[in-house]
Amino acid sequence: MFILYRSQVSAQSVFLFLIRSCSSNMADLWQNAMDHAVAAARRAGQVVREALQDDRKVMTKSSSVDLVTQTDQKVEQLIIQSVREKFPKHRFIGEESVAAGEPCVLTDGPTWIIDPIDGTTNFVHAFPFVAVSIGFSVNKQMEFGVVYSCLEDKMYTAKRGKGAFCNGEPLQVSNQEDIKQSIIATEFGSSRDPEAVDKIFSSLRNILCIPVHGVRGAGTAAINMCLVASGCVEAYYEIGIHVWDVAAGSLIVSEAGGVLMDVEGGEVDLMSRRVVAANSRTIGERIVKQIDSFSPPRDDASSLHKH
Amino acid sequence: MADLWQNAMDHAVAAARRAGQVVREALQDDRKVMTKSSSVDLVTQTDQKVEQLIIQSVREKFPKHRFIGEESVAAGEPCVLTDGPTWIIDPIDGTTNFVHAFPFVAVSIGFSVNKQMEFGVVYSCLEDKMYTAKRGKGAFCNGEPLQVSNQEDIKQSIIATEFGSSRDPEAVDKIFSSLRNILCIPVHGVRGAGTAAINMCLVASGCVEAYYEIGIHVWDVAAGSLIVSEAGGVLMDVEGGEVDLMSRRVVAANSRTIGERIVKQIDSFSPPRDDASSL
Repeated sequence: MFILYRSQVSAQSVFLFLIRSCSSNMADLWQNAMDHAVAAARRAGQVVREALQDDRKVMTKSSSVDLVTQTDQKVEQLIIQSVREKFPKHRFIGEESVAAGEPCVLTDGPTWIIDPIDGTTNFVHAFPFVAVSIGFSVNKQMEFGVVYSCLEDKMYTAKRGKGAFCNGEPLQVSNQEDIKQSIIATEFGSSRDPEAVDKIFSSLRNILCIPVHGVRGAGTAAINMCLVASGCVEAYYEIGIHVWDVAAGSLIVSEAGGVLMDVEGGEVDLMSRRVVAANSRTIGERIVKQIDSFSPPRDDASSLHKH
Repeated sequence: MADLWQNAMDHAVAAARRAGQVVREALQDDRKVMTKSSSVDLVTQTDQKVEQLIIQSVREKFPKHRFIGEESVAAGEPCVLTDGPTWIIDPIDGTTNFVHAFPFVAVSIGFSVNKQMEFGVVYSCLEDKMYTAKRGKGAFCNGEPLQVSNQEDIKQSIIATEFGSSRDPEAVDKIFSSLRNILCIPVHGVRGAGTAAINMCLVASGCVEAYYEIGIHVWDVAAGSLIVSEAGGVLMDVEGGEVDLMSRRVVAANSRTIGERIVKQIDSFSPPRDDASSL
């Protein structure tokens, strides 16, 4: 946006003014978007906390343990509507929208990647880790990430190149390089397909018996990634997550000094349903060696059935 | 007599709170780590310091009382439960978490008379949650009453458990087979806070329907066991019989239904008892 000045200025200075105001507006635009995301996440967290006072009616999606509630759907709508009012040209990848049939494709355009409630199973049981996750990508690159752990009132944020924070305090990954002194986070996920469960258990056993100090799971990918960024665990890995679970967290991890990779060691691909987030390449690669990998259907595969 | 135990309980709560403060301060510094029964069974100077603080403060007030403390037992004290008033102390439950600053670390103080728990205190010091229970008087967290979940359908439940610190392949085999059996019932999910005491408080709070583990010690579960039962829950052995806090095995559940269903899936084994006389 610019204002056309009716004044006696040279064409060149007008040109320079326009260029400068466009680029500073661009950075301002993402900061505005980020501020909006933080506010939206906070409001969503309030809705989640209030919903915990009432009974939570539970439905299922891809399996009997892949849960969703009306709160998930309501919160996603709230976020999308509020963003559309302010940023009408932006695109969305939202967990519940995709479940309802919206496409799940990442373009170069500014895109909000939303998980309204990461940790729905925890939410249903009032287990203390429930997060609102909002990631923002432009040109297929994460520009900012917001994860609000709403029962702990912890607002995790990161802006590309500007570091990662929790409630304003800077985050730094652990400096532990010895795998035998590490805690690893992972989850069983919601697939009960015996082949997948076989591989999940075999990876888990391999890792436990390195031996590591311990294996933990918060029950939400977004919060597991924030635990890596906070230095509480050295790495988190999982096969079966979705892009909306890890988009925001991935930037929070890298801005806290951590690394992301695929479970087979290559470059991470947020649509591949697989992720390793670690404090260092050393730990990440050591974990990768122990993972019995497999390939769930990609998030961006066009299909009728989402698993 | 009732007043005496109330004084003891008030003392336990105050001691747990002070201990939690010591733990939080220690988290500001580096934590030098030693090992006990295996390379993943950790202990720090803070564990030892906190246990000493609690025992000393109790001895001043209650000179005739006995103690079973994790670090004292590690140092050679006997681990035998008599009829006398006995303080059962885990100065830091979740030492691995403490070393990593993972958010669940608890001070656990149980008090037994005539081999029966009279009160239990579990202070989750990084969350500042003080869980308490007095026999017959209910269970509380920061003064709010606790109630187990009313979920009776195992397929709608979350179960808590841990891998423990044994890496012995036979034990690991059984731990994994139980875990897989339970996950594939299917339950909604399996979680672990990394500390037995807090896992038991999660049962009492209604956040999980049950917690089971083989390999825990009496000091991990003494306080939590009363908190669970006073919140309306039940305790049993992993083979379904009566719980035995010295047996290294426990199931804590919101109901007998859920507890018995879990027990069916557990591939049980028997670690050396806490009260087995040894070297």
